[in-house]
Amino acid sequence: MLEPPEEKYVKVQLGVLALAGTLTLAACGADTGAQNAAAGGEGGGEGGSLVWAVETQPITFNPQQWGQNKARLLVHNQFDALIARGKDGEFLPWLAKSWEVSKDGLTYTFELREDVTFHDGEKFDAASVKANLDQLVSPGYNAAVAAIQLRDFSSAEVTGPYSLKVTLKAPDGLFLDFLASPYAGQVSPKSLKNAKDLKAGGPDLVGTGPFILDRFTPGQEAHYKRNPKYNWAPPNAGHQGPAHLAEITYRFLPEAAVRVGALTSGQVQVIEGVPATELGLLKSDPKVKVETSLNSGSAFSYYFNVSHPPFDDKRVREAFRDAVDVDTVLNSVYQGTAKRAWSVIGQGSPQFYDASLENTFGNNAQRANKLLDEAGWDKRDAEGFRVKDGKRLTVRSVESAPYVRDRRDILAQAVQAAVKQSVGIDFQPKVVDQGTQLKALQEDQYEVFQNSRGDTDAGAALNLILPKGAAINRTHFENAELDKLLADASASSDLTRRKELYAKVQKIVVTDEALLLPLYVPADQVAYGAEVTGITFEPVSGTPNSAYDIRTGT
Amino acid sequence: MSTLTLTRRRGLAAAGWAGPVVRRLGAGVAVLWAAATAAYLALLLVPGDTVDVLIADGVDTPERRAQIITEWGLDRSQARQYVDYLVRLLHGDLGRSYVLQRGVGDLLATQVGPTIRLALTAAVFGVVLALVLALTTAGRRSWFGGLAGMSELVAVSMPPFLVGLLLLAVFSFTLGWFPVSGDRGFVSLVLPAVALGLQISGVLGQVLREGLERALEEPFAVTARSRGITERRLVAGHALRHALLPAVTLTGWFVGVLFGGAIIVEAVFGRPGLGQLTLSAVTGKDMPVVMALILLSAVVYVTVSTIVDLSYLLIDPRLRRSG
Repeated sequence: MLEPPEEKYVKVQLGVLALAGTLTLAACGADTGAQNAAAGGEGGGEGGSLVWAVETQPITFNPQQWGQNKARLLVHNQFDALIARGKDGEFLPWLAKSWEVSKDGLTYTFELREDVTFHDGEKFDAASVKANLDQLVSPGYNAAVAAIQLRDFSSAEVTGPYSLKVTLKAPDGLFLDFLASPYAGQVSPKSLKNAKDLKAGGPDLVGTGPFILDRFTPGQEAHYKRNPKYNWAPPNAGHQGPAHLAEITYRFLPEAAVRVGALTSGQVQVIEGVPATELGLLKSDPKVKVETSLNSGSAFSYYFNVSHPPFDDKRVREAFRDAVDVDTVLNSVYQGTAKRAWSVIGQGSPQFYDASLENTFGNNAQRANKLLDEAGWDKRDAEGFRVKDGKRLTVRSVESAPYVRDRRDILAQAVQAAVKQSVGIDFQPKVVDQGTQLKALQEDQYEVFQNSRGDTDAGAALNLILPKGAAINRTHFENAELDKLLADASASSDLTRRKELYAKVQKIVVTDEALLLPLYVPADQVAYGAEVTGITFEPVSGTPNSAYDIRTGT
Repeated sequence: MSTLTLTRRRGLAAAGWAGPVVRRLGAGVAVLWAAATAAYLALLLVPGDTVDVLIADGVDTPERRAQIITEWGLDRSQARQYVDYLVRLLHGDLGRSYVLQRGVGDLLATQVGPTIRLALTAAVFGVVLALVLALTTAGRRSWFGGLAGMSELVAVSMPPFLVGLLLLAVFSFTLGWFPVSGDRGFVSLVLPAVALGLQISGVLGQVLREGLERALEEPFAVTARSRGITERRLVAGHALRHALLPAVTLTGWFVGVLFGGAIIVEAVFGRPGLGQLTLSAVTGKDMPVVMALILLSAVVYVTVSTIVDLSYLLIDPRLRRSG
């Protein structure tokens, strides 16, 4: 795509850019990225640089160790997966040209692209895919993935230079979803062996992606340069060939107000994680564009711990749910920018979301009061809280500070006020350190568990939260029928059938058991300068895409 | 003067120095050991099991537990683990981060430079500002002195977080003089250093001015004035030395303010450094990193206070004999 003369031009331009940057610095002391971008944009088309301020610094650059949804946007700059997802969740070829699944769902055969090379010059082939799969299940590497996503993985066999056969122990409807996830980002087997800190990743752990990570300054930024050889974008990408941008810097700015200021003053061109309080301001700014995308997975919900009183009584669970006017609470905290959730699955996963649950519960203080009276919580203490046998109706939630985002602590305070005022429940949300939270969870010293999960396949989230003994089944809820439905849905790759099964699951936990209070659907907000184009979201996860299609200038 | 007397004098001087110096260095080592032990106890006492932290959101199976326990050597006895830990420390091995999966030594090495740069710049800024304020306003019971005292109070009371945001709003977002973030040359250092140094200048300025005012009322000041010395020379040449001593004592406190403030300021300005590392390590219960940071701050404190103590010996000969 890129002719040699053009490339030379880009280099010259970059030189000018660097010089311009230095001059700017020397002249007035401000290294304003906007000027860089403007200079880069003058060439029109290929070239240019971009600075993107993100909220969260990735814990790791190794895609196989990935775990932060907020860091997902970085992964596919550096790494390509075997399979891509289309806009309706369908699977599209990427590094795998095509694949076939045997009738019994146990054998997957893949034909791989033959023109792909890793950043370190190594050839991408069937042996490297096998090396990646084997690495993922090697002991002590990523036990979570080995035990959950790859629990049914049996072996991978190289059947030709570019063909691979994967055998499963049991049918797994989520296997292709896994191959489209960041975990399946293909890493050069050579760097899997040689990387200094394998689990942490970094510039020495390389993939095949459109950008090459060449600098990571912890606490400051990650810098990528274009991979000039890149010519294997998925079919639904905005273009083919190398990325538009010559380089991109992701700057870590944990303070929301600082990110917004950096954008409006032109020092960065894109920001992620726009706080609700600033959305109005940014939307009224003609120089800035704002986009929101609902995340896939489970909705942010309050799950009720049914292992002990008071939530072992379904009436109390229903009362808590009816006591909250979710719309009012969300409006007061997020100023109308949050999407209300109605089920354990969020609207960001339309394949499985059961819209018939909408408006079936909530905002009914009268009913809530009646239910609590019936459940025996019919007396009040001096502060107006309900009591039974001399014990106040107190429910606690213990959240770990690093996982509190989207002002969920403020949201909890709003809910606290709502349930106190409308029905006299004493809701005590606490934000603590991780160790204290783990202790409370282990000792069962909580009644409300707050959670949302950003899995691309909502079923994967449900598998972790709902079945008996699941990794984050903090409700201690057990229901054999539910477990069966979930297992069947996971084993099937028939979307229609899965949707039916998950509709039954949602009915059980939301309507029949009132196991949770769904609050809102997590979303990604991105704001960017008007000169930036090509900012898109991943079709299924709803998180921002990599920088592959982005360009600056006109 | 004969050679003999000279030697005897040197010997005496050495004897006068050796005792206090050895004692203070010994005390420093003892404090370090205490800090290492305290860090280790903290690991034991913080809520939550280490295995749980290492499992994090992963699956909690008995096999996984067993594997983690072997991998991190948690099956040894507490005493054994403590001794191993001290031995590793003596070899300069700070362990591995639970969360970041990197050597703690490497982590600290990459982050210590930016913090030192920030802390030193902030200290220089704070001290210079305090000196200027104190020297220009001491002894003048005018509105000017009152204003200085007032602004010092504001500087002390404003959290660095707020100062940082205000500075950014004015000088970066609006005027565009300084970049918003990062550690890229001196320009990027100005705003964070001011945000961090203001607090120091506030406290130090007050201490200095009070010291100066007290010194200016002492008999030597009266004597000096009676000899016709100008007020300015009296302040700069005589009173300042007296006022400096209590200020020097505050050095240890400075180090605390600078390090504590760096945690906030680095996050606001998106700067790399130990502060950001501390924040993520503490919230993520990444104990090897927390322990290393405790040790590191103990080393810094001990070094600074030993230097301060020894500089007293240098300043005041009486301390050498009595010490």
